[in-house]
Amino acid sequence: MELASIIQIWLAALFTIWIYTIAFRDDAFFKFAEHTFVGAAAGHSIVYGVDNIIRYGWAPMTAGNMMYAVVFILGILLYTRFHQTYFWVSRVPLSVVVGIGIGLSMRTTVTSEFIAQIISTAQMKVLGLDAWTGFSNLLFIIIVLATVYFFIFTFPKAHGGSLGIISKVARYGMMAAFGYSFANTVLSRFNMIFGRIDYVMNTWLVLPYAMLALPVILLLAIYAMIPAERRPWPKKS
Amino acid sequence: MAAQPKTIWDRLEDIPREILYGLLLITIILPMIYPIGFPVPISAEVQRWYNTIDALPAGSVVMIDFGYSGGGEPELAPMAVAVYHHLFKKGDIKVVTMSTSIEGPLLWEKAMLELNPAQYGKQYGVDYIHIGYIANVEAAMAAVGKSISATTTTDYKGTPLSQYSIMEGVDNAADFALLICYTTGGDQSEGWVRQWYTTYQTPYLSCVLAMMVPTMLPYQKAGQIVSVTSGAQAGQMELLVEVPGRGIKSADVITMTHLLCIAFVVVGNIAYFGKKFSGGKK
Amino acid sequence: MSIVMKKNVPILIVALTALLFLLEFFVFPELKDVITMLQNWGIILTAFTLGFGAVNMFMYHGKQVSRRTKNQWPFSLWLLIVLVIFTVTGVFMGATSTQYSWLYNSSYFALSATVYSSLGFYMTSGIYRALRAKNAESALLLVVGIIVLARNAPALAASMPILIQLDSWLSAVPTTSAQRGIMIGAALGALALGIKTMIGKETGFLGRLTEGEKGGS
Repeated sequence: MELASIIQIWLAALFTIWIYTIAFRDDAFFKFAEHTFVGAAAGHSIVYGVDNIIRYGWAPMTAGNMMYAVVFILGILLYTRFHQTYFWVSRVPLSVVVGIGIGLSMRTTVTSEFIAQIISTAQMKVLGLDAWTGFSNLLFIIIVLATVYFFIFTFPKAHGGSLGIISKVARYGMMAAFGYSFANTVLSRFNMIFGRIDYVMNTWLVLPYAMLALPVILLLAIYAMIPAERRPWPKKS
Repeated sequence: MAAQPKTIWDRLEDIPREILYGLLLITIILPMIYPIGFPVPISAEVQRWYNTIDALPAGSVVMIDFGYSGGGEPELAPMAVAVYHHLFKKGDIKVVTMSTSIEGPLLWEKAMLELNPAQYGKQYGVDYIHIGYIANVEAAMAAVGKSISATTTTDYKGTPLSQYSIMEGVDNAADFALLICYTTGGDQSEGWVRQWYTTYQTPYLSCVLAMMVPTMLPYQKAGQIVSVTSGAQAGQMELLVEVPGRGIKSADVITMTHLLCIAFVVVGNIAYFGKKFSGGKK
Repeated sequence: MSIVMKKNVPILIVALTALLFLLEFFVFPELKDVITMLQNWGIILTAFTLGFGAVNMFMYHGKQVSRRTKNQWPFSLWLLIVLVIFTVTGVFMGATSTQYSWLYNSSYFALSATVYSSLGFYMTSGIYRALRAKNAESALLLVVGIIVLARNAPALAASMPILIQLDSWLSAVPTTSAQRGIMIGAALGALALGIKTMIGKETGFLGRLTEGEKGGS
C-alpha cells in the first residue's frame, strides 16, 4: 500500500476515534477534530462554489454570452451583506435566488403535494373490499382528514368540546407515525456507527502498528477527558 | 433533612450513560469479530426496486443523483454500489450521474472504486458518466430536466461532454427511462418529484436515510415514486444482485443493536413503573 | 438610499422572477429560453453563496485568534489553517484532483460520517431515559416504535414474519396517512408563504430591517 494511503487511513481513523470521545466527555482531541471538521466544511464549500462559478458561469461568459456578466456582478454584490452600511445591496441578488426558488416550487407543489395527494386519498375504496382492507382504507382517510384539520384550524375552539375528537384522532395518527420514524432513525444512526467502526476495525486496525497504537490513543483520550485540575500529572505547582 | 436513600428503581432509572454507550459499543463490535450470519428477508419495496431496473429495456438511459453527504455515506453508499452492479450486470444500460450534494462527485468516485465498472467491461464516457455537482438543488434539477447542454458543457472533471459518446442523443428528462436518487436531504428526494415526476412523469426510485422514509411514503402511495427504500436495506439489494458487500455485513450488528434497544426500552419502563408503583413518582 | 430601493425593489424582483416561472409553466412555454437562463443564474448565484460560511468563519475565528481567547484561539487558528489548505488545494489543483481527494478522504469525509453517526449514542441514552409509556399517546409511540425496531432487526423479522406484516400495515396506514396530512398542511403553508413573500407581507429573506424599513414603504 502506498504511504499516502496509509497516512490517509491513519488520519481518518484518528478523527473517527476523537469524534466519538465526545459521547463520554468533552476533551481537547474532540475539539481539535471538531475544528478540523468545520474548517474543512467551509473550505470544501468554497472549492465547489468556485468550481461551479467557473463551469456554469465563467465558461459561457468567456465563450461570448455576456448575459452571464450580469450574474457575476450580482454574485459579487451578494457579499455586501457583510458590510455595515451597504448590506441592503445584497438583497437584490438574493431576491433573484428567492424568486427562482418560489417560482420553481410553487408551480409544482400544488400538483405534487396537494392535488396528487388528495386524488390518491379520494380514490381509495372502502366498500366492496375484504373487511380488513376496507377498515384500513377508512382509517387512512380519517387520519388524513383529521391531520389536515389539525394543522389548518389552529384556533383553540376548533380543538375543544365535541370537535376535540378530531384533534385526538390526528394526534394518535401522528404519534404512530412518529413512532415509526423514531425506530427508523435508530436504524439509520446505528448503520452509520457500524460504517465507521467497520472502517476502524477492518481498514485501520489491520495496518502494521495500528493495534499497538490503539491502546495508547485510547489512554490519551481518557486522560484528556479528566479535568485539568484533577489530572495526576503534570502536578500544578 | 437527610437525603432519601436511592431505591433499586432509582438506580435502574439512572444508569450512567457511559455504561449504556459501553454496552452499545460491545454490541456493535462483538458481531463484527464473531459474525453470526443472520438471515435477511427481502422487503416488498426492495423487490419492487429490483424489478423496476430488471424491466428496463436494452438501450435505456438512467439518470442517477448522487445527492448524499459524507454523513450518510455509510448507509447509502452500499445501496448505490449494489444498484450500479445491477445496472451494469444487465448489459446495455447507460448511466448518467449528477450530484445535487456538494460532496457528491468525490463520494461517487469512492463508490466507483468499490464497484470497479471495468469488471463488467464498462467504460467511462461510453457506458457511464458524471456530469458534476450543480448548485441550487431544485434549479439544478429543473435545468437538467430541460436541457443538460444548456446547463453544463463539461463532465465533473471539466472535460467537454461533446467528447463522450454516451451523451449523444441525451439532453433532457424525456431521454431518460428512469430516475434514481440517493440522498440525505429532503430537498433532493422531494425536489425530484416536483421537478421531474410532476413535469415529465419520469419513473422515479428514491433511496433515502431510513429516518426520511416516512416523509416519502405519501409520494409512493400516490404513485409519484415507484419505490422508496432506505440505505439500510442495502443488504437485501446485495442479496438480490448476488454481490455481497457492506450492506449484508451490517445485518448482524443491526440485529444485535436493535435487540439491545428493545431491552433498554423494556428495562427503562420497568424502572419507571417500579418507581411509580412503589410511591417514588407521582 | 430610499426605502423603495432597499426594500420594495427586492420584493418586486422576487415577485417578477417567481411570476415568470409560473407563466412559463402554465401559460407561455415560449418563455423557455428566459427561464433556462434564469435557472442557470440561480445555480451560479447559489455557488457564490457557498463562500458565506468561510467569510463568517474568518470573521469569528479571526477575532478569537487576534484576541488570544483562552482555550480557544489555538483551535480557531487551526480551523483557519485547515480552511486555507482545503481552499488552496481544491481551487488551484482541482476539486477532483488526487491531492484534494486525499485531503477530503482523510479528514472531511471521515469527520462528517462520524459526526452524524455519533448521534446514535445520544439516541441510545434517549431510548433508555425518555421512551416511557406515560400516557396513551406516548404508549402508542412506544408500541409502534418497538414493533418497527423489531422489524428492522433482520434476524427477528426473518424468524417472526408477523413483524413484517405489522410493519407493512403501520407503514401503509397510520404512517403514510399522518404524513400525507402533514404534507398537505405543509404544502398549503408553503404556498401561503410564497404568495406572502411575493406581495411583500413576508420579508424574512431581506435579513435585518432598519427601523424605517419596518414601517413599510
